[in-house]
Amino acid sequence: MTLEGYDPQEIQRLCRSLYTAFGVGCESAGQVPLPAGLGDPLDARKLIEQVEPVRAYADDKLLYLTGKRLKDRELPSGTAPTLGYALYGKDRALVSTHGVRNWEEGLRRVARHSLHQLGHLWDLYHCLDPRCSMYPPWTPSFANGDSIFCSFCREKSEQKIRLAKS
Amino acid sequence: MADSAPQFSIAVGDRVVYPNQGVCRVFNVDTKEVAGQRLTFVSMRREEDGAVVMVPTTKVQAIGLRRLATRDEVGKIFTFLKSESDKADLDWKQRARTNVDRMTQGGLQGLAEVVKGLQVLSELRPLPTKERELYDNARHLLVSEMAASLSISECDAEDAIDLVLSPPGRERPKRTAEEFKQIPAAEEEELELGGDLLSLGGDGGELDLPAEEEAEASEGEEEEEQHPPPARGARAKRGGGKPHKLPETAGSGEKRAAKGKKPPAAPGKRAAERKPRAAKHATASADGKSKRKVAAARPSKASGRKKK
Repeated sequence: MTLEGYDPQEIQRLCRSLYTAFGVGCESAGQVPLPAGLGDPLDARKLIEQVEPVRAYADDKLLYLTGKRLKDRELPSGTAPTLGYALYGKDRALVSTHGVRNWEEGLRRVARHSLHQLGHLWDLYHCLDPRCSMYPPWTPSFANGDSIFCSFCREKSEQKIRLAKS
Repeated sequence: MADSAPQFSIAVGDRVVYPNQGVCRVFNVDTKEVAGQRLTFVSMRREEDGAVVMVPTTKVQAIGLRRLATRDEVGKIFTFLKSESDKADLDWKQRARTNVDRMTQGGLQGLAEVVKGLQVLSELRPLPTKERELYDNARHLLVSEMAASLSISECDAEDAIDLVLSPPGRERPKRTAEEFKQIPAAEEEELELGGDLLSLGGDGGELDLPAEEEAEASEGEEEEEQHPPPARGARAKRGGGKPHKLPETAGSGEKRAAKGKKPPAAPGKRAAERKPRAAKHATASADGKSKRKVAAARPSKASGRKKK
């Protein structure tokens, strides 16, 4: 799902990357309006709660893409840089493509962040392997990596996907 | 552990933590008759998936059921995670034993210790599958309890933990086996810890293996580090042929380094060193110091014939 206008070809390429990583179907479900009154930068927590739902099968996962910047979150241990947000084990995640000017170069980063947030939806936690997409996303090496999972995260996500209702 | 009444009162609606299961909410406390005995059961539902657990009140303490951590306790966990402490034990057996104890009886602090210990260890070498699973379980339980305690989402709870463990803009450091040495060798000698003291093994008395199993396990560990017994036996029968090449495990090299042993020599060198080593063992066996070494150094039939 997109919250602003994106080139359909770009979205198609992103879908292909996600399909390769998870091995399950991935398709664009169109655009929904951005909820009003969230300010700029956007509050990820509020946005994920207020965004318009999409009719989907049980256990389908929805990834919302926005080109706007997300506000850093104040957490008990400090301020977390926020490039995405997910409801763990549930059905909604959000990724910001803010700062991606050239989609040719930026696709890799967006795909890796998308994979990271979708991984959280399949109950994956942060990983120890720097090559894995579930590695903490604010580390310098994260953006340079490929959109892949390590063998542990891949097996775990496949197990969860196999048990999914749909 | 003996059955006893719970140390804290449990009422309907309370949120408790069941070790290794996660946060549960009590929805019923009632008395039931089971096998002619009237027992009071605490029924609780796991928040994550709604699974129902019933525990007799007499077993509550024994299984380690506890209240959800308070905000202050969570604050202490962040302080602990920030600190430069808790290097995991390089001895896998000791580490596994400690981590099992921490998971079941350690509370929130125990979970944090497992997560931090294994994360630090992973900076030395990749974790084996079992420990990777343990790490994932511990992280999952830690995140869900922190999220419940602080009334925040799991996403925020995990990010709060990782802000401390992997601060933004910094890569995780690479560690060396030297850093994991808890007590320097010199100090250890000074302490002169006897076998009795070492075998106490902290609080985990229940998990201590019997002496025979302990011996077998340590023997197995040594053999794992060097050569597997069938290959060694076969080689001895053959009168020493081509050395049986084994894949070098990530851990064995570090253990060797930690114990101050020499790193493994190149295959060619190793073959060249074999004869002098056998001679050394033979001397040791003559003194009657080590039975294992005697067996290893016993000359094969083939070599005996050659001498004649």
